[in-house]
Order: sequence, then C-alpha cells, then structure tokens
Amino acid sequence: MRAFLVVIALGFSMAIMISIPPGIVANQEAVQSLTENFSSTINTAATLIEVSNSSGGGMPSGMPSGATFFRFGRGGAFIDETVVDEIRTIEGVKDAVPFLEVSSNETTPETMNTPRGSFTINRPLYTIEGVCLNSTFIDEYSILPTNITTPGRNLREGDSGRVLLSLNLSDYYDLGVGGSIGIYGEPFTVVGIYEPVSQGFMRTNEVYMNISDAQRITSNTGNVSRLDVYADNASVVDNIAEVIQAAYTGLSASTNAGRMQMYQTALNNAESTLSQTQTVAFEEIVIAIVATSLIVLVMMLYTVRERTKEIGILKAIGFSNWSVMSQFMLEGILLSLMAGVVGVVIGIVGAPYISSLLLPSANHVNLFSTRGGFGSQVVNFSARATVAPDLRTLLLGLGAVVLLGAIGSLYPAWRASRTSPMEALRYE
Amino acid sequence: MSELVLKTEKLDKVYKLGGRQVRALSDVNIQVKKGDFISVMGPSGSGKTTLLNMLGCLDKPTYGKVVLDNLDVTKVPEKGLFKIRKYKVGFVFQTFNLMPYLNAIENVELPMDGTKKSKDEKRKRTRELLKMVGLSEREEHRPHRLSAGEQQRVAIARALANNPAIVLADEPTGNLDSKTGHEIIRLLGKLNIDQGTTIVMVTHDSLIASRASRMLFLNDGKLLAKEKQGTHLLKKELTCPNCGREIQPDDTFCPRCGKKL
Repeated sequence: MRAFLVVIALGFSMAIMISIPPGIVANQEAVQSLTENFSSTINTAATLIEVSNSSGGGMPSGMPSGATFFRFGRGGAFIDETVVDEIRTIEGVKDAVPFLEVSSNETTPETMNTPRGSFTINRPLYTIEGVCLNSTFIDEYSILPTNITTPGRNLREGDSGRVLLSLNLSDYYDLGVGGSIGIYGEPFTVVGIYEPVSQGFMRTNEVYMNISDAQRITSNTGNVSRLDVYADNASVVDNIAEVIQAAYTGLSASTNAGRMQMYQTALNNAESTLSQTQTVAFEEIVIAIVATSLIVLVMMLYTVRERTKEIGILKAIGFSNWSVMSQFMLEGILLSLMAGVVGVVIGIVGAPYISSLLLPSANHVNLFSTRGGFGSQVVNFSARATVAPDLRTLLLGLGAVVLLGAIGSLYPAWRASRTSPMEALRYE
Repeated sequence: MSELVLKTEKLDKVYKLGGRQVRALSDVNIQVKKGDFISVMGPSGSGKTTLLNMLGCLDKPTYGKVVLDNLDVTKVPEKGLFKIRKYKVGFVFQTFNLMPYLNAIENVELPMDGTKKSKDEKRKRTRELLKMVGLSEREEHRPHRLSAGEQQRVAIARALANNPAIVLADEPTGNLDSKTGHEIIRLLGKLNIDQGTTIVMVTHDSLIASRASRMLFLNDGKLLAKEKQGTHLLKKELTCPNCGREIQPDDTFCPRCGKKL
C-alpha cells in the first residue's frame, strides 16, 4: 500500500516534470507564431493609409460629379473610383486597393427603446463586401477572410456571380456551398463559407463578392466606399496621407502609427509573459525534482528501518555490504521506474491539464483579436499551441525519475549496508 | 587427533554502557574439533550469545583471537568478514529468522546467492538439504505456512547451504515446545553423525545441552573449568545391537525389532 502511494506520488511528480517542458515549448510556439503573424501584419500595417470619405454628405471636392450617396457604406459617402488611379500616381504609393461596402437590401426588424418610447427600425441583415479580386491584392494584402470551412473555397481572381458567406448567414439561410442566394434581385452561387475570427465585433454578417458585381447590383458603378493605400515604405506614409488630404477635401487618410505602438507594446508583453512563464516553469521543475528525491529518500529510509532485522539476517548469512546496498538501490530504482511508467501515462493523458494548471499561459497567448484593424485585414492577436510531451521528453522524464530514485536511495542503501549485523538481529 | 575447526584464545569482550564497562566475556578459550557437537550452557546474561557472535564473525572481540578453519578471523578486516560468514559459518537462530516473503526453497538458496554455483546446482543442493531435514514436501511453502519446528528445519537447511566448517546455533529450541525442541536436537545430532557437521550450540536448557557430545559452562562471561560429556551417541551407537537397524538417541526400545536397548 505504501509502495503504491509512493509510486502514485512519484508518478505525479514525474508527470509534472514531463508536462512543463512541452508547456513551455507550446508557449514559445504560440509566441513565435504570434510574432511571425504579427510582424508581417505590422510591416504591412506600417505602410498602410486608410482612405475614406469623412464628409458624411455633400460631394467632396476633387471628386467628379455623378458620385452618389448610398444608405450607409462604412465610410459614410462614397468615393469616385477614378480617385483610385489618381492616388496610385502619388509618389511613394505602392498600390491602392478599393472596397465597396454596401448594406443588404434585406432587412430585419429591430425594436429600439428610447426615452421617447420604443419604435421598430429595419436593420440591414448583412453587409455586402465588394473586393477587388486581383491575385496580387488577394495574396499580398489579405483582402479576404482566411478561416474558410470545408468543403468550399475562397474567392479567386475573376470570380463573378459567386459569393463567400459568413457562417452566421449560412446558418440563417440554411445555405451550404453550391447553394444560391438572391442579392438585390440577382442570384449568386455560394463558393465558400468563412468563420469570422471575432464574434465580439458587430459586423460579422458579411457577403464577400467581386467589387464589380457589388457595384452593378447596388447601382454603384464607379463608386467605392474606401481605399487601402499602401506606401513603398513606412517613412513616406505620413507624407502620402497629407498629400491625399490636401488634394481631396473631404477624404480622410489615416495611418496606423498609434495603433501600431499599442500592438508593439502588446507583443512585448507577450514576450515578457513567456519569460515569466519560463521562470515559473523552472521553479516548478526544481520543486518536482526535490520532491521526487525527498519522497524516495524518506520512503527508503523508512524501508531500511523497517527491514533492519532482514538486513541483519542477510549479513549474518554472508551478504556483503555491497550486496545489501545494491539490493536497496535496486529496490529504489525499480520503485522509481514503476512510478516513471505511471508518470508517463499521467503525463500523456494529463499534460495539457497539468501544464495549464501550473502554467496558466502555457498553451496560448491571447493579446486581443479584432477584425478590420488594418483596413479589411483580419488581425488575430491570439495564438494557441498544443501541449503534448514528445517521446524525447517522456524518455528524459523517465530517465530523470529513475536517476532521482537512485540518488534518493543512495543514502538509505548506504546506511543499510553499514548496519551492524549483530545490532540488526537484535532489532525488533 | 581430529583436526581443529575452531579455536579461541583469551577471548575478551568489553562493552561500554553509559560510561560503564561491562565485561561480557573474559579469557575464554575453546577448542572445537571437526565433527564435534558442543553445547555451551549458562544462565541468561552469561555471555553465551556474545560468544557465539564472536565465533560467527558478527562481532569482534576486544581482546584475544578466534581461529576458524586455520584462519585468525580477528585479523580479517570488516569488509572481508562476509566471506567467512558465507562459506565457513552457518547460523541457526532462536527466532528462525527466515525471510517471510520467500518460500522454503528460496530461503535455503539465499546464502548461495553470489556463489559460483549455477542455478541448477543451487536448486539441486537446496533440494538435498530440504530432504535431509525432512521438508521435501514443503519446499514451496512460505514461513507463515510452516510450523515453528518446520521453520527451524528450514533455518538449519539454510545454515548448511554452503557446506560450512561449523554451524552455530543460538538457542535453537528456545522458541519451540519441548517435543519439537527435541526433534530439532535430534536433527542436529543426526546431521552431526551422518554429515559430520561440526556444531556449537548455546542454550540455557540443561536437558537440551545434555544432548550434545560435550557440554561447556559459561558464567559471568567466564568459561568454567568443568566440562561434561553429553548423551549424544556416536554413529555406531545409533544402531540396534540386535537387528542392526537405525535407532534414535532417545529410543529405549528398538522401533524395528522391539527389543530393549
């Protein structure tokens, strides 16, 4: 019974030893993936200027006549598409990516409670997101969602009459891949369904389609609602923003300087969390090692005391000090080995739980998650990694427990071997 | 003259007990010849067990020497004594001291652990010994399933495992009832006669002591000059003069022919 309890205790000790390193690895992986993801996002964001019509009404100067206002596009009023090409010619501009965001013609009634009483408004059911399906834009500027569910695919260059539906909408319409949806009186084929990265943000019900389709069906030919302007490098971003604002009254050009500062701080925090986690992990492993050695030491000392008479008999019938010592050492090692096997089992099954218990931030790094943080890009500031001890860790853990078992048994075994046979035989 | 197996010269043992010196043995001189069956008698605290511990290399004398099989064991360093205990001496204890988790055959085999004998040789020797002590049928039994007498038989078989020069028995009948005690003494006597085993037995029981061939007396750590002849018979005397069959030392009538001995 005692041996059984010791085996279980040592098993847990070992499970801690083998669960923590994978926890740290997972933490490192999470931070690394976050850093990589984040770095490219930051690099792109640093060169980004978001251009929208901030006038909210009236015709911005510099814009050709004919541009119309339409319900509520995100930027308020629309921008004439010709501005896109004009902005592309500004020195230092690498590219300008147009978007057209228009509310759906389908609405859903929503009751509003105000001090003057409650009334019902018809809220648009979703937003049509018209994106310029140019392969360069798709690849370089991540203009489309990335979490596409299977089966199904993302939109591609040249897609027309095809849409990408949010998971919410797919559920709402009970519509799968290959299904057909009528938008502004025109049928569209659903080629894929995407899962929005954040449910916290309101605008998750979106239908992505080719910008030309969006313009046509919403009678917005020649209009875009906003532009993502990319500079050649971050140093010219402010100049370009000033040039745009000066040239087009009513257009607002905002850069991400402040936001990037915030993101960089958050990333630094993630790295500092990793470092703290590693320190805690190190301390916990040291505690587990000391605990393992102490358990074996106390257990074996107790065993030696309990079996004093037996030691006396063995010595009286001719066992050498070395034989007695090796017998107790072997016992300690075998006990540890059994505990090691138990520990491997506990470790394999419980590593994620143990590591999340001991290292709360072991398997995920979650700064914040948002959508549309940089233009249309989906920016995910969280990363998750799986905590699973690999074979090497398991073998190392097993080796460590056996070694600690041997170390813990050393003194008790030595004491046993030094016991005087005459004294030991008298022991009751 | 028979070969000397064991000899002590001016054996002294002094213990320190709380700053006080206690002389457990004083100037003990014993000579044990090959094939002897000696009993050392004395009251409790007379130094019997201390003497046996000296003879069996479990303890070292304060003064004097113990020569066992022509080797002065008092000069053997502590580290080397285990070999003497393994090959030269066989112990039989009052409380049997068998390993509770080993069966009879494993207990008897234990002293052979680490010897050059092969596994088969060890097993063969063990079976011979168990047969010799009359426990062939009980070899798979653990101590708790054996009677006290049977346990002592296993202990005797274990003492003989490495064919020692001498068997040292410390109150071998102390934990047994009178009948079983006599059976054990008879067994020791038989081994002494049949196998030529040299035995030194300490006891405080005069009747048991009298069954040896020589009786020595120890009092206050000193060996008394008087020495008595025991009732132990020689091999030739253990046959019936009428029919020639084997008889036991206790027998008054021959169990075979029924005639008075």
